[in-house]
Amino acid sequence: MSTDKNTKQVDLELRQFIKNLGYMAGGTALLTTMPWLQSFTTGKLSEIKNEKARVAILGTGSRGQYHILNLLRIPHAEIVALCDNYPPNLKTASDLCPKAKTYTDYRKMLESKDIDGVIICTPLNWHAPMVLDSLAAGKHTFCEKSMALTMDECKAIYEAYLHTDRVLYFGMQRLFDEKYIKGLSMIHSGLIGDIVGIRCHWFRNNDWRRPVPSPELERKINWRLYWESSGGLTTELATHQLEVSNWAMKRIPESVVGMGDIVFWKDGREVYDSISLTYHYRNGVKTTYESLISNKFNGLGEQVLGHKGTMELEKGQYFFEDVAPAPGILQLINNVEKRVFSTVPIAGPSWVPETASKQKPHYVIEGMVHATSGGSMVGAENDGSDNLISAFCQAVITGEKAKDIVEECYSSTMLCLLGNQAMKEQRKVDFPDEYKIPYLKF
Amino acid sequence: MKDIIIPVQRQKKELRILLICFACSFLLNIAAIIIYKTSWAEIITQIGYVIIIALALYVLIGIIRLIVYLISRFFKKRK
Repeated sequence: MSTDKNTKQVDLELRQFIKNLGYMAGGTALLTTMPWLQSFTTGKLSEIKNEKARVAILGTGSRGQYHILNLLRIPHAEIVALCDNYPPNLKTASDLCPKAKTYTDYRKMLESKDIDGVIICTPLNWHAPMVLDSLAAGKHTFCEKSMALTMDECKAIYEAYLHTDRVLYFGMQRLFDEKYIKGLSMIHSGLIGDIVGIRCHWFRNNDWRRPVPSPELERKINWRLYWESSGGLTTELATHQLEVSNWAMKRIPESVVGMGDIVFWKDGREVYDSISLTYHYRNGVKTTYESLISNKFNGLGEQVLGHKGTMELEKGQYFFEDVAPAPGILQLINNVEKRVFSTVPIAGPSWVPETASKQKPHYVIEGMVHATSGGSMVGAENDGSDNLISAFCQAVITGEKAKDIVEECYSSTMLCLLGNQAMKEQRKVDFPDEYKIPYLKF
Repeated sequence: MKDIIIPVQRQKKELRILLICFACSFLLNIAAIIIYKTSWAEIITQIGYVIIIALALYVLIGIIRLIVYLISRFFKKRK
């Protein structure tokens, strides 16, 4: 019960924060740089007070059920249909919302007139056909990340988005995570100076497998492990962090190099369990991305390195390069103490390695940090997913198209697919001209 | 139990020593501010450290005085 209350509170706090931005000096400019937030205010919420978005869940696996739990807490959402071709998942979802009509064929479901919006949480290879069919059927559509399995499919979705009057959202929840919104606005205000590098990582220690009741279901249930249905660690994890990297840089990298291997989980899977990628921006800044699933010591994180400081977005904290010196009297005591008690060196290194300095963190949001370990295969609490799905339901009612969300997902998905290509072909891959869209700035 | 009586003269002497210790500590803080080029606000903000150093100096001087007293008493007895 308390979790429900907290989630609602966070949702409203973010709405209030965004609304307040409009009144602040420079807030309007900030909302211009984050236009997807413009419609997500308390004022806009009150306009749809008595209305409900009738949504269907397409794909009722773990992520689908995660969204169902969030939707059940959103007053302006009503789940009217569920669709899955795997009966155990459909039954679990149906137990969560018994009033919803169940389907096993998504095309049949799309024919229903009672559905305003469709939320797609299926394996990656199904994203493109389902999004395109859903838009063609006149449904407002939300699809989980990444956008699609291939670059051509991404381009097809983007083209369909340009020509539809329907709302299209993608599961880029960091765009609705308050600590990212605040952290990125602080970066853009020059808090940490010029961005000189970005380090992203996501580490877990599990085999990424789901239990399979019978062998013929292996590829259906463990779809993440096979190239025919997944892009591996890039499309499943890196897509979020590459989106943040582009958000920070306000541009897209022009090339990528990388290496990928199956280092530990040699169990018949095809996708890499260890990847290392370097994305190169035109101004020389590089985003290094590392992910493996046989050691979780470092968890997940995105470090934006500036010449004046470092922002750790997932932890919601930042550090300055130049730390204020200790008071003079303490420096004096320390120096006297060192001279009295330190040992006299007889021989020592002529070069002392530069070690990371211990610095006191400053917090993006004082007293509200929801850093996740990155271990969950379903979704973390308070990571912006609830706000994102709430924004989608609001858009289903108002018909207001999302600004920049499709473009952000397109660019991060393309970078994931290019990263996979670089690893598979073991060469530097440039962003192909034929897949560049007007939104992208290199 | 016998009352310990500290004469006014002695009290004044101890207070004077303590004041000197505080002055030395205060000057030390000013010297540190100049040497390490830190903020002059530290004259006020670091007053806690100044008091601690003053008390430490007082205790140190007390120990030295005790040792001097014991040595001088030892020699006086021998005479």
